[in-house]
Amino acid sequence: MTLFHFGNCFALAYFPYFITYKCSGLSEYNAFWRCVQAGATYLFVQLCKMLFLATFFPTWEGGAGVYDFVGEFMKATVDLADLLGLHLVMSRNAGKGEYKIMVAAMGWATAELVMSRCLPLWVGARGIEFDWKYIQMSFDSNISLVHYIAMASVVWMFTRYDLPKSFRLPVTVLLGLCVYKAFLMELFVHMFLLGSWTALLVKALLTGVVSLCSLFLFVTLVHSN
Amino acid sequence: MFEEASEVFDNMFKTSFPLTFIVFIPAVLILVSPLPADAAHEFTVYRMQQYDLQGQPYGTRNAILNTEARSVEAEVLSRRCVIMRLVDFSYEKYQKALRQSAGAVVIILPKNMSTMPQDIVQQFMELEPEMLATETIVPVYFALEDEELLSIYTQTLTSSPTQGSSTAAEVLLHTATANGFQMVTSGAQSKAISDWAITSLEGRLAGVGGEDLPTIVLVAHYDAFGVAPWLSYGADSNGSGVSMLLELARLFSRLYTYKRTHAGYNLLFFVSGGGKFNYQGTKRWLEDNLDHTDSSLLQDNVAFVLCLDTLGNGDGLHLHVSKPPKEGTPQHALLRELESVVASQYPELKFSMVHKKINLADDTLAWEHERFGIRRLPAFTLSHLPSHRLAERSSIMDVRSVSPSSRHGAGLPPAGPHVDLRKLSRNTKVVAEALARVIYNLTEKVNAEGVPEDLQIFTEQMQVQEEQLSSVVDWLTAQPRAAQLLDKDSSVVSTLEHQLGRYLKDVKRHYVKADKRDPEFVFYDQLKQQMNAYRVKPAIFDLLLAFCIAAYLGVMYLAIQNFGLLYSVIRKVTQPKAKTH
Repeated sequence: MTLFHFGNCFALAYFPYFITYKCSGLSEYNAFWRCVQAGATYLFVQLCKMLFLATFFPTWEGGAGVYDFVGEFMKATVDLADLLGLHLVMSRNAGKGEYKIMVAAMGWATAELVMSRCLPLWVGARGIEFDWKYIQMSFDSNISLVHYIAMASVVWMFTRYDLPKSFRLPVTVLLGLCVYKAFLMELFVHMFLLGSWTALLVKALLTGVVSLCSLFLFVTLVHSN
Repeated sequence: MFEEASEVFDNMFKTSFPLTFIVFIPAVLILVSPLPADAAHEFTVYRMQQYDLQGQPYGTRNAILNTEARSVEAEVLSRRCVIMRLVDFSYEKYQKALRQSAGAVVIILPKNMSTMPQDIVQQFMELEPEMLATETIVPVYFALEDEELLSIYTQTLTSSPTQGSSTAAEVLLHTATANGFQMVTSGAQSKAISDWAITSLEGRLAGVGGEDLPTIVLVAHYDAFGVAPWLSYGADSNGSGVSMLLELARLFSRLYTYKRTHAGYNLLFFVSGGGKFNYQGTKRWLEDNLDHTDSSLLQDNVAFVLCLDTLGNGDGLHLHVSKPPKEGTPQHALLRELESVVASQYPELKFSMVHKKINLADDTLAWEHERFGIRRLPAFTLSHLPSHRLAERSSIMDVRSVSPSSRHGAGLPPAGPHVDLRKLSRNTKVVAEALARVIYNLTEKVNAEGVPEDLQIFTEQMQVQEEQLSSVVDWLTAQPRAAQLLDKDSSVVSTLEHQLGRYLKDVKRHYVKADKRDPEFVFYDQLKQQMNAYRVKPAIFDLLLAFCIAAYLGVMYLAIQNFGLLYSVIRKVTQPKAKTH
């Protein structure tokens, strides 16, 4: 629509990141450069994933409206590389657990925001045509920040040597949920024919539940020893 | 955060020059990139006529459109694009839009014109000349209805603010939910086409029996006219005349191939272009033949010129003359033969002669024969229309519209002008019979040798073929035939030339180009364009949205600030559990 509309969408997408960065105390740790490194790792991992997908997954040209369940599942499995990438970032940073998690998640999520939402917003929200999808995209970026923080914390817990046996199962389940969340969402949308707003709501709820669970586990783990 | 960022950037730029390029060039490219155009709906629109005739401008003078859509009921129309449907169209509404200085008018026509009620079609047909009569500054476009366009229309209807009764909150809610549409055409401003050549075609059948034979000229113009050139199919006017001319050419060429039936008359066939623009093709043809050449069939001994115009319908035949023919002339003979053929073979047909003097003070000539009359050639026009002013001759409603029912005579005929094949072939038969009687001088033989009064020549193998007529009409109406669209390379002209060449000798083209300094006619381009309808929201919506986003961000800020609260709550909840470990 107008530059003003772009400004609206931009503010909606970016300000939560900024607020989180400021309020989580990362700025006091001088963590900006570390976040940039995490972002670079994100880029590297995405490149590897793309190469892998392009090499081993031929483009599937099924009929319209047919959902390729197995193919999508296999593609979602490639997202396991994200976990490895997050682990890589965290293992290279020394410090407290919260600090590691926040640095990895912030860098990761910001890199994703810049790479995959900046350009569509600039091109789309500034055009003459009005569409709610840019507002939705901005909301979605907020959700994905929460998602990556939860994901990083789960990865952190999973890679701890002193993780109690009883934690092993819930953490693994949460890991799986994090990785396959996008796939599950797609499945929901496809099965229940959700509208874009409902899909966004479902996504927010799902992410909320996953992150609450991981917060519970995190709190329990940190304060148990 | 920003200080650190600037430090990082500073280092980056100092140390490595190429990196600057990598960062800056995409940034610059993005900033200057044009706005994308993925529209909600893209459709083809046809612009109203724009032409100058004898220095007088007609039609719309503008082609560029970039304004918001409104329905005609909205209060403020200035600088808005007014959308109307044909059903709701009226001259008052159109005038209202123009008076309020609307930015443009878009009229949505139904996909299938023949399904419209009779009165609406009739009303629109009568408005067409009025819309064109004066020059219109704003662009006027016609679009064909489809589902997307209809939904845009209904949304525009609902979004035009309702008057008075609603409260401020309702209006506010309305702005957030309702969609506006920005209509944008993709083309450039219209400009005059220079050096446009109108093509006319001529062919002949030479008679036998010595020098200086009398010549009969048959003329029909092939171009069509309507309020929008791209919608002018001209089935009845003048597809019917051209198809009749071709059929007559076929019949007489067969007669002229046999020695026994080869008559002592030259037959000259002329398919003229620019007929709807004051018969420009005919005018030039006459100038070429009478003024510039030494020997021409038109110069000596022309028996008469018969112009065929709008003959595909109706139960009357009118012979329009500018001077009643005198007794003893070939003109009078044809008139008499037409009367007798109609009387003896088709008593249901009403034949009459209409006399109208040439009015040189008029902007345009009434009928094509007046072009010949001015040059003192004996001429008349045959038509089923009683008057030249009737809107049937220049309407976009004049389409073929063959539905299976109307072809077989059952069911209702289409509302607008159309071609009824049975009537067209009947009229062709009448003309052919009358012409043959004049050419072979049959009436005198009837009296002298006892040939029966109701003698029919074109029967059995020689009969008028309805399929032939139908295929020509179908082909002619398969594409719009406005004079602005048919240049010398167009398929209509070359196919016509080929068809004439099958029956006639010496088929020639004649071109007419307008004079450079003082043009008699000027055509303009940009008659067909793509129009985009972009969904837009009013500026107040942006403000409202900004307010909501600010509130949301405030809540987010508070939530993140007080994250510690949630953390401690969870800790309290989990502590008893932790103790059990």
